[in-house]
Amino acid sequence: MSKSSKLPNEKRESSRIKDADGRRVLDDSSRRRRLSRYLEYLEKDNHNDDPQANLNIPSKRYLPFHDLEATSVSSKKKKKAKGHDNVQKRLRKNFAALLEENIQQNGDSDEPNYVTATAPPPKYPTRKFCHVCGFPSNYICVTCGAKYCSIKCLRIHQDTRCLKWTV
Amino acid sequence: MAIILDNGCYTCKVGFSNETRPRLMLNSIIKAKSERRTSFISNQINDCKDLSGIFYLLPLQKGFLIDWDLERQIWDYIFSKENLNLNVEFQEHNIVITEPHFNFTPVRKSMAEVVFEEFQFKGFYTTAASTLSSRSYLRERNRHYCVVIDSGFSFTHVVPYCHDRKLARAVRRIDVGGKLITNHMKDLISYRQLNVMDETYVVNQLKEGACFVSKDFFADMELAKNSDRKVSCKYVLPDFQNIKQGYIQDDKVESSLFSFDTYYIVKLKNERFTVPEVLFNPSYIGRINQIGISEAIVNALDATPREIQPLLYKNIILTGGNAKLPGFKERIFNDVRSITNADFDVQIFSPEDPVTYAWECGAKEVRDGALDNLFVSRKEYEEFGYNICRNRFF
Repeated sequence: MSKSSKLPNEKRESSRIKDADGRRVLDDSSRRRRLSRYLEYLEKDNHNDDPQANLNIPSKRYLPFHDLEATSVSSKKKKKAKGHDNVQKRLRKNFAALLEENIQQNGDSDEPNYVTATAPPPKYPTRKFCHVCGFPSNYICVTCGAKYCSIKCLRIHQDTRCLKWTV
Repeated sequence: MAIILDNGCYTCKVGFSNETRPRLMLNSIIKAKSERRTSFISNQINDCKDLSGIFYLLPLQKGFLIDWDLERQIWDYIFSKENLNLNVEFQEHNIVITEPHFNFTPVRKSMAEVVFEEFQFKGFYTTAASTLSSRSYLRERNRHYCVVIDSGFSFTHVVPYCHDRKLARAVRRIDVGGKLITNHMKDLISYRQLNVMDETYVVNQLKEGACFVSKDFFADMELAKNSDRKVSCKYVLPDFQNIKQGYIQDDKVESSLFSFDTYYIVKLKNERFTVPEVLFNPSYIGRINQIGISEAIVNALDATPREIQPLLYKNIILTGGNAKLPGFKERIFNDVRSITNADFDVQIFSPEDPVTYAWECGAKEVRDGALDNLFVSRKEYEEFGYNICRNRFF
């Protein structure tokens, strides 16, 4: 880098930029997709898999309700399970579906609702922190748009998370 | 006497109205790596020795009660002999259950259905947790206006109240809560030091034990850069054999004093305060394009009538688990003070235990009979169905 610039007839260039030329540059929309994937990740309850997923031994006390219905002998139990099934049927929706329904219902009305209560976007520019070390950063990775603060952090970033996550 | 159930996304706060403190119950069914055959309902997890690699099944999604299959099992456990000891006495008790702001109608309907038809309670009242807090706060102090900040597991709400009514148009919701903070912390530690992606429980403990809200963010950044003792620390992770609970390592004690062969240490520098900082500047994590708590308070109060704004600024109440972070109150005070009009007198009230405050307020309200004519009885429900709940509560 600095050495090459000292030679008289050679064009000044940075090896870092030269390297970067070879890398694929992501456009805005895919960067945004990556960001929303990170958000989804932050909303997750668990990151590990269910440790009992492939065990397949339903414990007797907590049978799923459809099993309960099938196996229960006493009619009382049966009734209870059925009543519960109705609730489940009506509410077999996830959050996204409920929200969608809510938006449709409130489409034209002026009433405040879940959507109108969302906090507005900030007035001030966002702060920038190095994605690797967490300290204030001034630079942006050309490839994926993550922030970094020094060449050292950039190297780490390119070796690890570049094109995987962006923060 | 009634039962008050503050049905939070992570913990339920539950108890009878004549008690002073609620029982804290995890609102989840938990599977542990170490015990392969059983799953633990709520606080049964205390019997589990090894809490690594815990798998949560949460009935609430983003604060809304979605999975009744799970919730019913948890409530069954809560009301069972070990806890509230309600075996046959559902018919003799009223119950107050909290719900999120702007709850969805299908969720409300099924809530009423479960309470009356399956558990057969005598009477039922539902409202947002912050409404309980505000009612009791205002009545005790004989005031009329307040704003409740409820920063919980799934989101943070800023809710201004006028007498007993929430000013619905001025409610602000920030989609940042304890879960997001924990996950962010988990990601940072896993990326920078040690893979803890499976250890939600451990990282949550670490967050509660080691994080703080910075009063001067960039000054603390400088301190962290120089690894100043004031901000950086070493946190010992539990291994669930010798160390049951993680803790901040004391620098004075030589680490050679540890007799265990292996234990894991996480070095925390700027993570200690940049992670809770998400509450105040959500925009720095990618797509959460929202204002932070302090700005949200000002933004919400700007949407209220001018005449009551000074009174609202005088009565800011902090509740919810995140309010337990050290420095939370001071930071909000500093921020709000510097953003808002200098004429306003900013006063912040931070209850002793912000997690259970809403429950305690609910219990007080029931004891003083302030909710008496709000309960819908089972007879009324059988007669009029869900409509009577809608007309009376919302």
